[in-house]
Amino acid sequence: MQILKKIAFWRMIIVLLTGSASLSAQTPVAVEYQLKAAFLFNFTKFVEWPADVYSSDQDPFVIGILGGNPFGSFLEDVAAGEKVNGHPLVISYFKNTNEIKRCQILFINKTGQYNVSDILSDLKGKSVLTVGDTPDFLKLGGMVRFFINASNKVQLQLNPDIAKTVRLQISSKLLRLTEIYTQK
Amino acid sequence: MAFHDLPIQKKLMRASLLISGVVLLVTCTTFFTYEFIKSRQEMKEKLETLGKIVSANSTAALVFDNPKDANEILSALKLEPRIEGACLYTKNGVLFAQYSDSLRPVVFPNQPGQQGYTFSSSSLEGFQPILLGDKKLGTLFIRTNLADIYNRFRLYLIITLSVVAVSFFLAYLLSDILQKNISIPILSLAETARAISEHQDYSARARKYNKDEVGVLIDAFNQMLVKIQEQNQILSEFNTNLEEKVKIRTSELETSNKELESFSYSVSHDLRAPIRAINGYGAILEKNHFQQLDEEGKKFLAIIVREAGRMGQLIDDLLAFARLGKKEVQKKPVDVTALANEAADDLLKLNEENFKPRITVNDLAPALCDPVLVRQVLINLLSNAIKFSHNNEHALIEIGSFEEPGIVTYYVKDNGVGFDMRYYNKLFGVFQRLHSYEEFSGTGIGLAIVHRIVTRHGGQVRAEGKVNEGAVFYFSLAN
Repeated sequence: MQILKKIAFWRMIIVLLTGSASLSAQTPVAVEYQLKAAFLFNFTKFVEWPADVYSSDQDPFVIGILGGNPFGSFLEDVAAGEKVNGHPLVISYFKNTNEIKRCQILFINKTGQYNVSDILSDLKGKSVLTVGDTPDFLKLGGMVRFFINASNKVQLQLNPDIAKTVRLQISSKLLRLTEIYTQK
Repeated sequence: MAFHDLPIQKKLMRASLLISGVVLLVTCTTFFTYEFIKSRQEMKEKLETLGKIVSANSTAALVFDNPKDANEILSALKLEPRIEGACLYTKNGVLFAQYSDSLRPVVFPNQPGQQGYTFSSSSLEGFQPILLGDKKLGTLFIRTNLADIYNRFRLYLIITLSVVAVSFFLAYLLSDILQKNISIPILSLAETARAISEHQDYSARARKYNKDEVGVLIDAFNQMLVKIQEQNQILSEFNTNLEEKVKIRTSELETSNKELESFSYSVSHDLRAPIRAINGYGAILEKNHFQQLDEEGKKFLAIIVREAGRMGQLIDDLLAFARLGKKEVQKKPVDVTALANEAADDLLKLNEENFKPRITVNDLAPALCDPVLVRQVLINLLSNAIKFSHNNEHALIEIGSFEEPGIVTYYVKDNGVGFDMRYYNKLFGVFQRLHSYEEFSGTGIGLAIVHRIVTRHGGQVRAEGKVNEGAVFYFSLAN
């Protein structure tokens, strides 16, 4: 487990830091999602969840993936053995909206054919960091959006106002890096 | 000059200057070193803290792959003008973001180095890990310029050295003033002692300055001088008395000596007349009335005549000896060889018997002496030698000399009867005889005359002998 976790971490870091240079070496989509997986994992460190999202100390911290897994085993590898504030990190895959149970981060895959706005309105009031990569994700009420910028880098767009309403505290360090989205 | 031979004033000065110099130097060096080490330590801690702040702020930029933001964070360092530059490396050592002071561009290391900070000649630089929780995300390199700190220390050093110099000068002035308190009384004491030993003036006194140990020393010294003066007084009085006493005694002695001499002279002289009478009438009796005497009378007459003759000889010798005391010694260079040959010839001629000893006269060194008196010495010694060799058929007499600086020693050596060294002290006395008159004739005054003549020349006489093995007589003269 320990070795696996290490390998996964190294892979993540390599991908994360060599960035665009290595994009051409592998299939572009795979590398992009490796980065996104790493970012998803790193949100656990720069976002604070209210204590009441856990019912007990043994409750896991859940990263939920809705609509197909674009990360392959990569996210699993990164999360293996990790803990968030003492809660074991668990990855859950949801096929459809009905399956969405309790989770702290929800990644809504663009490949999934869902009514994103419905999902988001369902989650309203729950302390779940919603992440997506569709262009209108924030407009529909999402919190964090991945996008590829002009220099072919994965960047973040963020709506802190919504996060605040569900008592998620986003670190200023993270905020500095992101493009802030404001509702027009 | 070695330190312990220096004058006391210089010694005191050097000692106090050395002490103050060492104290100043040690103090200043300690403070300076402490300050230097401390501020370097502080500098390092400050830079480390700054590095930690930057590291903490850079975590998100590193994790979310945002070098632009990282650059922004680093560029905040320009608010600290000492910072020359800083850069971030990723976990695997790739340069991720950097900031460099526009005035002093920094060439960043290609790879992150060992964790920790190091001082170079003008800067402090180091690497520290960027951690998120317990995970290392990358490395921060940061460098700060130390020129102004070092400049400040240069200034400190100059100030310190100036302080040392000024303090040292003040110490010099102070010790110059203070040492006089100690040195002047000692110097004055030494000067007094020197003057006293030079002029022998024990009435001088050393001046007392203070009531310290030197004061005690000066008091003791002065008391000693008083004692010396008193004793000198007593001694000189005693001396004067003694001299006077000696003078009186000497003149008394001289007077009595003269009296004694004239007495012995007149006694000898007066004794001669009756002896002549006895001799004369004895001779007439022998000549004109010899036949009228019986055998016994003839025998007695012969004894009277012989003994009267001997008495006459004794008196003559005594007179000669007495005259010697009055005669003045007239010194001149003398060929002693010729003198000895003459004496030997005369003696051999006079020797009536058929006994002819062999006399060898070596080449003798000349001497400064009275020839008449030294001739007497040679005659006396030679005649003694002949006389005491009488029994020896192969009598051999040798006259020789040897020289030492300023002195020439002559000797007369024979192989006659010799003498017993036990009686050596009687050898040169007047009328002292080691042999009976019957055995060897003579009045016993010859060696006394030799002794007197040589002594009056300022020389010395000595002899060596062994019974039946001969004798050697030495006398020394100036040359």
